[in-house]
Amino acid sequence: MIRSIFNVTLREWKRILTFPVYYLAMLVLPPVLCLLYAGIYNKHFAEDLPVAIWDEANSPLSRQFTFMLEQTESIHITQQVQSEGELHALLHNGTVMGAIHFPRRMDEHIKSRQPVYITIYTNVSYLVPAKLLYKDAAQVLLTAAAGVQLQKLMKTGMPAGKAMALVMPVQLQSFTLYNPRYDYQQYLVPGVIAVAMQMMMIMVVALALNYEHKTGTIEALYAVSNGSASNAVIGKTLAYLSIAWLDYLMITLVIYPIFASGTQLFSPDLFVIFTLLMLACISIGMMVSAIFKDLLLACDVGIFYTSPAFVFSGFTFPRWGMPWYDQYYAMIMPLTPFVDAFFKVYFMELPLRYVRLEMAHMLLFTAVGLPVAILLFQRSLQPSTLQHA
Amino acid sequence: MPEKKNNIGYLFLREIKLIAGNHSLLLTLLLAPLFYVFFYGTIYSYKVEEKVVLAVADDDRSEMSRMFVEQMNNMQVVSVMRAVSLEEAQERMYRGEAQGYFYIPKGMQAKVLSLQQANVVLAVNGARFLPSSELTGAITQLGLTIGAGVRLQYQEKMGLNSTMALQEAMPVNIDYRPLYNPQASYGGFLLPVLLVLILQQTLLLGLSGSVALERENNNIARLVTTGGGLSGMLYGKASFYLLLYLAYAAFFMTVNYQVLHLPFRGSYRDLAIILFLFILTLIPMGIWIGTLFKSQLLAAQLMAFSTYPFFLICGYAWPFESMPPLLRGLSSLLPLTPFVKVYTSVVQTGGTLRDHAGSVIHLVLLWIFYLLLALWGIKRCNKKQQPLSL
Repeated sequence: MIRSIFNVTLREWKRILTFPVYYLAMLVLPPVLCLLYAGIYNKHFAEDLPVAIWDEANSPLSRQFTFMLEQTESIHITQQVQSEGELHALLHNGTVMGAIHFPRRMDEHIKSRQPVYITIYTNVSYLVPAKLLYKDAAQVLLTAAAGVQLQKLMKTGMPAGKAMALVMPVQLQSFTLYNPRYDYQQYLVPGVIAVAMQMMMIMVVALALNYEHKTGTIEALYAVSNGSASNAVIGKTLAYLSIAWLDYLMITLVIYPIFASGTQLFSPDLFVIFTLLMLACISIGMMVSAIFKDLLLACDVGIFYTSPAFVFSGFTFPRWGMPWYDQYYAMIMPLTPFVDAFFKVYFMELPLRYVRLEMAHMLLFTAVGLPVAILLFQRSLQPSTLQHA
Repeated sequence: MPEKKNNIGYLFLREIKLIAGNHSLLLTLLLAPLFYVFFYGTIYSYKVEEKVVLAVADDDRSEMSRMFVEQMNNMQVVSVMRAVSLEEAQERMYRGEAQGYFYIPKGMQAKVLSLQQANVVLAVNGARFLPSSELTGAITQLGLTIGAGVRLQYQEKMGLNSTMALQEAMPVNIDYRPLYNPQASYGGFLLPVLLVLILQQTLLLGLSGSVALERENNNIARLVTTGGGLSGMLYGKASFYLLLYLAYAAFFMTVNYQVLHLPFRGSYRDLAIILFLFILTLIPMGIWIGTLFKSQLLAAQLMAFSTYPFFLICGYAWPFESMPPLLRGLSSLLPLTPFVKVYTSVVQTGGTLRDHAGSVIHLVLLWIFYLLLALWGIKRCNKKQQPLSL
């Protein structure tokens, strides 16, 4: 039995290297996509976004605030405007992503106890730049405002410590753990690579059994597997899993560190959950391949099943923000438990005991998928069926 | 000329028959766009994520700390999960039950009342972008409000009347105006582009599959002859897709915008023009891609991987200027890049085609570029499929 499984694995490796539907998707696409994704987010952060200043105050304080804004990572002041109309026109045609307005007589009002409103405009139809701009602008302006308050209180003769306590009675020490600078390359690239890998695996393995009919090799498979569907399915599973490992090593040890400024992606725990994801995908693919003899239909099922996986997984938009039926739908895709486990293992560097539930969820796909595939494929491997074929 | 029109009409009808007889094309071109547009749309139907769970450990257990936590729980963004200790709060975050934790150390109220600065700790799980940034923003705002309240009380105790005390409490304020997506919601940001992405991907997948199928069945040469030339074949095949996808576009921009409660701020005329130009550019692109594949199966399989790269590279999810030059060049070759710029401006900001003349010209140039590529691709396949003459 073991020898037969090994022979099927060996035979499958040869098939993978022979047919473009296998080698293009399994060996060419993963590194290409990894390079592309790492390249897109090569800068890690969106920096120097164009911002306009509408400075009606034209005062030392407004100039100081403007200088402080320019020092931030995301803000680059490219335009000075003289009216709100001009500002909106620049936002409309995309010349700037945001704008800051300092009101007329700002310094005088601050000194004479009249509240001052500094306006931050952002074009939120582009969410990422808008959030970054607001974060940096608000941080600068709040710090500056606190400085103004502190000076005012100290001018009344109040000791520095007491003045500080009044300016900020409750000091919020805020920590953004695991990705403190909101590095997009660190955050998004490993996730989208995992999406590509699950998509690739399901779509390729969906052609694992039925493609034997197209290539006229089903009888050869019968011979190699000793007529046992379990030998055939397990042998093929091992072949695909080994290719997935090869991709994993190539991406985590070679491509990603080189193109993502040396960032380490490889970890043994990540390897474990990646293996479970790949096993789940292979099992689903095998089941599809055993159910649908029509290759195009199997491929279409693979596309329809895998393409929404990323958005349903909760990687970018949390699942609890979705309607309940979408949350249930998300659970029938292996990427969903993988993403939850990935956050814990890769970003939070937690041990595997924290992802037991997610691992069990991924194993469930294998526990159901592989036996179903074996049962269904056994019928195709009957000598009578082979004679028909 | 009338004969050429008849030939194009014949190819148009033939394309309908081809699709009707091929379940993969039928699924991709007729079922998938409608299925996806409603299915994906529901994910973001709430648009914003509310009640992000925050584990709170309150060691102060004072009136002030209870008020702090209560106000936190009243915020739309936050849902408080009580923890008996800091360790438990951390553990809840590790287990994924909370997206962060908030810790109030013992003595906070006493410190504030004796005019000493008190510290509280907020730690959010930055591995999840959206919830962590929402939590940080909301709690920071709450901290500022509480600070202003303390100052207000102090100023009143110092003898200022309520109005003057209020002015002293907040001398410099921020007025934040998130334009064109007032809730700054992820759904409001993604849905408009998701609709056109569904249009683009199903069109490219279906059309390239159809052309690859013709190549697989050695039909290209026959189609060129029937169409009366390379352009005749291209127009005959393209006319069906143009009509079908214009109908989809009209449906998505009206029905789906209504169903998903998406605001539309621009002119329908400008939207119609830019959508027409976009679909017109995608069609020769799809035909050219189809000529590169030897089989429909391979075309379907590889084109399925193009969705995320096309979206990520088009400059919508990540600023175009922040990409390396090579990828910016690649991005400029995609019709989606100039289209998204004009489309989002028209539908979300109320911009006009005139505001984006450069992008409109860019799209026209891409149409010419892909038209030439498609004709070249058909010519290449036609040459390969010509019978050998002795």
